[in-house]
Amino acid sequence: MDENKPIEAIVCKACGGEPRLSAQCKVCGGAGIGVASTDGFLVWEERVDEFMIMLRKARRQINAFFHLALLAIVLIFLSLFAWQVSKLEDLTGLRTIAFWFSGHWYVTLFWFACFIGTFLIFRLSEYSSESKDLPNWGKTHRQLEQEEKSAAKKALFRFDVAPYFSPAARDVVESAYNLAKKLQRTEVTPQTLFAAALASPSGGIFMVRLGMQFDAVKGPITNVLMADDAGNPPVHLSRDAKKVLSLAYADARANQRRHVEVMEIFLQAFKNSPKIQDLLDQLGFPPEHVVHVGEWIRLRSKLKEDHDRFQALAALKPKNTMNRAMTAQQTPLLDRFSEDLTLLARNGYIAPVIGRKKQMEEMLRGIESGRRSLVLVGEPGSGKTALVEELARMMVEENVPPELFDKRLVSVNIAQVVAAGDPGMAAERFLSLMHEVGVSGNIVLVMNNIESLTGAGLSGPMDLAEMLASELDKGYLLAICTTTPQAWTRYIERRSLANKLIKINIPETDYEETIKVLMARSGLIEYENKVYFSYAALDKAAALSERFVHEKASPERALDIIREAAVLARKSRGEKTFVSADDVAKVVHEKTNIPVESMTTSETSKLMNLEQKLHERVIGQDEAVRAVARALKRARAELREGKRPIANFLFLGPTGVGKTELTKALAAEYFGSEEAMVRLDMSEYQDKASVYRVIGAPGDDRGGLLTEAVRNKPYTIVLLDELEKAHPDILTLFLQVMDDGRLTDGVGRTVDFTNVMLIATSNAGTQFIQDEVSKNVPLEKIKSGLLENELKGIFRPEFLNRFDGVIVFKPLTMDDVNQIAWLMINGIAKRLAEKGMNFRAEDAAVEELAKEGFDPLYGARPLRRVIQERVDTALADLMLQGQVGRKDTLILEPGGNIRVEKAPQL
Amino acid sequence: MCYNIRVNVHLKPLGKFLLIDLLGSIAWFPVWWYTIGLKRQAIKAVKSLQYRYQAYGFRIWIRNFFVPMYGQYDIGGRAISILMRFVVLVGRSIALVVEALVLMLGVALWASAPALFLLFALTNLSKGLFMDQIKFLLG
Repeated sequence: MDENKPIEAIVCKACGGEPRLSAQCKVCGGAGIGVASTDGFLVWEERVDEFMIMLRKARRQINAFFHLALLAIVLIFLSLFAWQVSKLEDLTGLRTIAFWFSGHWYVTLFWFACFIGTFLIFRLSEYSSESKDLPNWGKTHRQLEQEEKSAAKKALFRFDVAPYFSPAARDVVESAYNLAKKLQRTEVTPQTLFAAALASPSGGIFMVRLGMQFDAVKGPITNVLMADDAGNPPVHLSRDAKKVLSLAYADARANQRRHVEVMEIFLQAFKNSPKIQDLLDQLGFPPEHVVHVGEWIRLRSKLKEDHDRFQALAALKPKNTMNRAMTAQQTPLLDRFSEDLTLLARNGYIAPVIGRKKQMEEMLRGIESGRRSLVLVGEPGSGKTALVEELARMMVEENVPPELFDKRLVSVNIAQVVAAGDPGMAAERFLSLMHEVGVSGNIVLVMNNIESLTGAGLSGPMDLAEMLASELDKGYLLAICTTTPQAWTRYIERRSLANKLIKINIPETDYEETIKVLMARSGLIEYENKVYFSYAALDKAAALSERFVHEKASPERALDIIREAAVLARKSRGEKTFVSADDVAKVVHEKTNIPVESMTTSETSKLMNLEQKLHERVIGQDEAVRAVARALKRARAELREGKRPIANFLFLGPTGVGKTELTKALAAEYFGSEEAMVRLDMSEYQDKASVYRVIGAPGDDRGGLLTEAVRNKPYTIVLLDELEKAHPDILTLFLQVMDDGRLTDGVGRTVDFTNVMLIATSNAGTQFIQDEVSKNVPLEKIKSGLLENELKGIFRPEFLNRFDGVIVFKPLTMDDVNQIAWLMINGIAKRLAEKGMNFRAEDAAVEELAKEGFDPLYGARPLRRVIQERVDTALADLMLQGQVGRKDTLILEPGGNIRVEKAPQL
Repeated sequence: MCYNIRVNVHLKPLGKFLLIDLLGSIAWFPVWWYTIGLKRQAIKAVKSLQYRYQAYGFRIWIRNFFVPMYGQYDIGGRAISILMRFVVLVGRSIALVVEALVLMLGVALWASAPALFLLFALTNLSKGLFMDQIKFLLG
């Protein structure tokens, strides 16, 4: 049955499913609404009211009492018998038939006890379990297929689902009734069922996993319930509630559960109640999270059931390397270089795989198609090994094609085989191994990373790939190999080995699949670390790893993160704690240096004050500062598109007006330090060949300057200084970075640029800017003039178009330079304060310096020189002459004079 | 009581409980024992026999009857292997037959138990000693 197919409910035409009318309806017999299924037309026929609740309770108690009474009678009779027998002086009589038919009262009682005992067995097997097993529970594939065939006949009959509900699930239905009655509602709705399921013990587990506080949701849910129709008893099950219960049965059936459990009611009630969905969404629990957590709890109990079945089957598999037919031979050399995966699986060391059905089918089909071997091609961490391990588990269960029956899966360590260093020796060893595999005949070989057979990464002519190809050609062995897409293309694809292998692509798991894998595997991690995962932690790990971690493929990278987060949580808060989304975020932050945690108040205020902070360092460039600060706010609030860099800016303007300074200030204020940037002076990249310096030469594992820097530090500023000087081919590279947020390096690795802020500076059009500014043309007009005319010959329009902002830095005014002079003087004061001296300047002195250093052509740079010459040099002289000591105050006076005020003697 | 109006609705489950669950179960007992119960026991026996059959690997051994054990492909090896396989198969068959007998005995015991127990109890009762002795005991 397709699990994703929505199941439609069918409403009784006679009564329309209206609860009051359907109670008397002859057509549907009170059901009102139902769901078509293989078992028949699923309906909830049982009445739910006080009397029935009481009857069920009474029935349970009376049955228990009755069984206890029967047991007591049996025990008393047997005790009396034993007591009488113990009084006999001669026990030899017991061996005679005559004794057992002697008619003595205690012998009679003994036989009655035996008879009542059989009655008790009958009672216990028929009446102690309150719920029936689902018809498809524990059935094999074939049996189920046959059932599906006869479904058409059954579908004509009504099928009451109530007896299949577990006692806990029954309790939920009854407490939903009680809840509706207590709140004086006329109907039990899906909302009521949801509330009752949430208040049950299973609901408790659910809330803990989801991170939901019952007290926090109790009020809002009650409000939703109060919106249902009010009225006096009798309370009926609404049409939708009946639908939910029928669907819960269908759900349990689709998942091959033994009984309908609370989680099925819970999930179906949720899926069929838009009001509850909206409410929980509003409270911060999106519908997909709620459904995932419900499925998670179910998956856990299903894994337990599967485990029990696996254990029983594993007992049949041999405990050693011999197969069951005993045709195999000892393989001492192979055992030395390998690991028996079937044996590991048999002994319970291999966890089951969730999902990956398509790839597994492809694998089995490949094996069945004839004696051809397979190669699984996927990125490291995409789950190739897990898939092979799952095959080992299936081989333990013997749930495999005949080609794999009664065989063992052996993983050869190729690195050890070729470790001899001497090619001749490695080849000899390899052939001996193959020989053992051949004569043993019960071995399926697993070879991870077969590119190492070709000598990849090794020096010297170590190449066993051809040898393996010719051995595979002989057809006596079946091998399952793994490799990465890069290695496949580079080392294997064009060789004869490739023709001998059926290629199966193992793509990365997507978010949904990753979450499922995390759900399945988290149990073991929880057990090892004695912590519990909240759903938010798994969700965050899946989402963040997909976005920010690029060294490995999913699901491995997400698993790595939750493993580390579990250790972090245990170490910081001790055992029995919950691993939260913040723990996961912390781990991702430490790994990637990208702040992914939810924003703290200090960070929020930092971000809000960013503009002001930047203004303190960069003078006179209001527009530029504003644009940059805004881009960063958008990035941190996750409002930007995820597929591009945080922002792409082009800073235009004359030299010395603060383009680089603003970038540095930003790096210092937000990215941690002034050095938190990758700076490329494009004047060094003027020829065509320098492309390779940026992204690395083809095949060179060291990668390029830019790609490696960003790969190692993905959260950074990339500053491209003097962009106009770069070779056009390099600019073309950046087209892709700005548009897609990624760049492929020389070896084919894709480097993520989505957490980078790309800033390019250029002096192009400086003359135009200066001329226009002197003519008092507004900045906006200058910018359009630049874009339309001046820059056309320098940058291609599509390149300019990709910048989020082209920001024109205007030439500095006298006033600006004055402020900058003060900044510089304050910088000197700071440096002197470190030496224990005080420094201050008189206004006139600073104005004098600013006037001297003002040059509309060169911006603030001449000012720096003036200050260096006038102030720094004078200070150095004073210090070298020993005229100034600690605690003294230096005062800069007009005319470049520096006065020393000695500190009072203590 | 608000139940009065729906008496017929409630009578059914109540009656079902009192008549069928409690009293009816006494009548239902023999029927159940020799139909559902017996079938269940038989299935259990067959399943455990199947599991034993699988555990002994009959299919594998018969299929590989002429395949030499331990990869000994020489004539001597083959001969010994066939002999060994024959002996092992015979041995395991005997074991399986014994197990089957034990399981059948179990099913037979199930089938006969209540009838025999009741019969024995009534036979003893019919001797007439019971009431006298009970009286004596009580007296």
